[in-house]
Amino acid sequence: MSAKPSDDGSWQPEVDELALRRAQADALGGPSAVARHHEQGRLTIRERIAAMADAGSFQEVGRLTGQGRYDAEGKLLGVTPAPYVMGLAKIDGRPVAIGGEDFTVRGGTSWSGDRKKGGQGGFVEDMAHHYRIPLVNLIDGSGGSVTSINRRGHSVFPGVHGFERSVQLMGEVPVVCAVLGTAAGGPAGRAILSHWSVMVKDTSHVFAAGPPVVERSLRQKITKEELGGSGVAVELAGTIDNAAASEAQCFEMVRRYLSYMPQNVWHLPPVVDVGDPAERAEQALLSIVPRNRRKAYDMRRVIQLVVDRGSAFELQPSYGKALITCLARMNGKVVGFVANNPMVYGGAMDGPAARKQAHFVELCDCFHIPLAFLVDVPGFMVGRDAEAAGTLREGMRSVFVGLQASVPMFTVVIRKCYGMAGMGATDKNGLELKLAWPSAEWGSLPIEGGVAAAFRREIQASPDPAAREAQIEKELRAMASPFRTAEAFGVEEIIDPRETRAYLCRFIDAAQERLATSVGPKPKYGVRP
Amino acid sequence: MASIKIKTEVTGSVWKIEARAGQRLAPGATIMILESMKMEIPVIAEDGGTLVELHVAEGESVNEGQVVATLTG
Repeated sequence: MSAKPSDDGSWQPEVDELALRRAQADALGGPSAVARHHEQGRLTIRERIAAMADAGSFQEVGRLTGQGRYDAEGKLLGVTPAPYVMGLAKIDGRPVAIGGEDFTVRGGTSWSGDRKKGGQGGFVEDMAHHYRIPLVNLIDGSGGSVTSINRRGHSVFPGVHGFERSVQLMGEVPVVCAVLGTAAGGPAGRAILSHWSVMVKDTSHVFAAGPPVVERSLRQKITKEELGGSGVAVELAGTIDNAAASEAQCFEMVRRYLSYMPQNVWHLPPVVDVGDPAERAEQALLSIVPRNRRKAYDMRRVIQLVVDRGSAFELQPSYGKALITCLARMNGKVVGFVANNPMVYGGAMDGPAARKQAHFVELCDCFHIPLAFLVDVPGFMVGRDAEAAGTLREGMRSVFVGLQASVPMFTVVIRKCYGMAGMGATDKNGLELKLAWPSAEWGSLPIEGGVAAAFRREIQASPDPAAREAQIEKELRAMASPFRTAEAFGVEEIIDPRETRAYLCRFIDAAQERLATSVGPKPKYGVRP
Repeated sequence: MASIKIKTEVTGSVWKIEARAGQRLAPGATIMILESMKMEIPVIAEDGGTLVELHVAEGESVNEGQVVATLTG
């Protein structure tokens, strides 16, 4: 025992030692390490947790963990805290498991105690699993270090602290990862194993391995920012979903994201009534789609006008831009919106857009969030580059994921709905409710693309091939009126665009019974294409 | 004054240029219209500014991410 026994028989000396040990933990890597960290524009892990969680709600676990230093008599000289801080906290009044690396102690590298505190397979993950509460990972660490060979006397087999719990959590509770510094190796992998991830522009980076390893392996001289800044990780690769301008904005975004999520897959997301009438009809919707079919329009504005006021939160806004994915509320209930973006390739689905749709549909299905598709898709992206990028495979994977999903889906055809990509925007396993605006058009492929191929001989045989092609196009287009399909009940309703919100709210309200009786984990079978 | 590089979001061709060098553009004003996938895709000065230079001409092909105009804020 390091504390001297007390004279009055109480445990005061030990309690004093506890206070000392707690103070050492709170000091993290010491004043100079903390100052260096602050100089880089970064908060410490304790400041981050305080900023993220409701005031006073943090209940730490493992505060005393670390490396004790003792004199020859066994008296405590000090403790270097383990480079991971974690525990329970509340976000908007709801419990979460939260933790993150402490970069001020050995750069947040892994630390080997009897039991792991954080990262993959750590106590923080066990807490999220056993208590069925969301997990918030605040990542700022570079994973393993070769120096651990010295410490252990042997090298560690990869996966001794594996990702099995991290993977399990993906089907149980919301997992959010915020990359707040440099994430390489294990912590970078951990960031990807999340339902939603965010990083801070300029001060955070994510990669499999950093510049020194890249230079040694490939003789590439490259900066951290060029290798794994948000320009690469968020915009180009889609490795991380969103970018924040500051740590404060990042925490705000995490809080916002979680507000749409249930605590776990055994519950529905919380209903928040913002007092926006379900019957609200927006005049602007009547003319938002240009009559000229070649002209694009602002699909984000369509979403904003339809959903509960101010409730849209866009995921992956700068990746796969031909598609827009938003969490939003309709009459208070959380709904996932998937909308094609005519401003980018006329809304044609390319590989990144398909990947984005597949992930978003799976996310919403997992947490029992119904989906609303606002459709304006001419089909999969065409051309040699698109074929070489595996667009067909990515596209069919997104169709496959949609067909495995069992959450109710609502389709609103705004303009074009063509081909396999169009089919992927319908609820084939469910009611398959399809509403259409008067501007809607659909088919296996757009008429202008299909006429030349289907009527090739007839066009070639004509004395004026161009005129004949235009004539055929005109005849076919006349029959392609959405009202004719509605007569055949091939589409369930044509609606005034201003009625979109009211229609969707009624059907989404009606689907609540189905949602409430379908909670729980969703097993997935088969092989994705 | 910050220099703003305007990039295209799509591969296609320049169909029509709507603004002139030296022109003051309001936020959201159209600089040029591209043609891609048989659609007219406007390139917009999101935050507005003065158009310093156009880097492309009508009829020219453009690639996704290419800088097509420079503005000052």
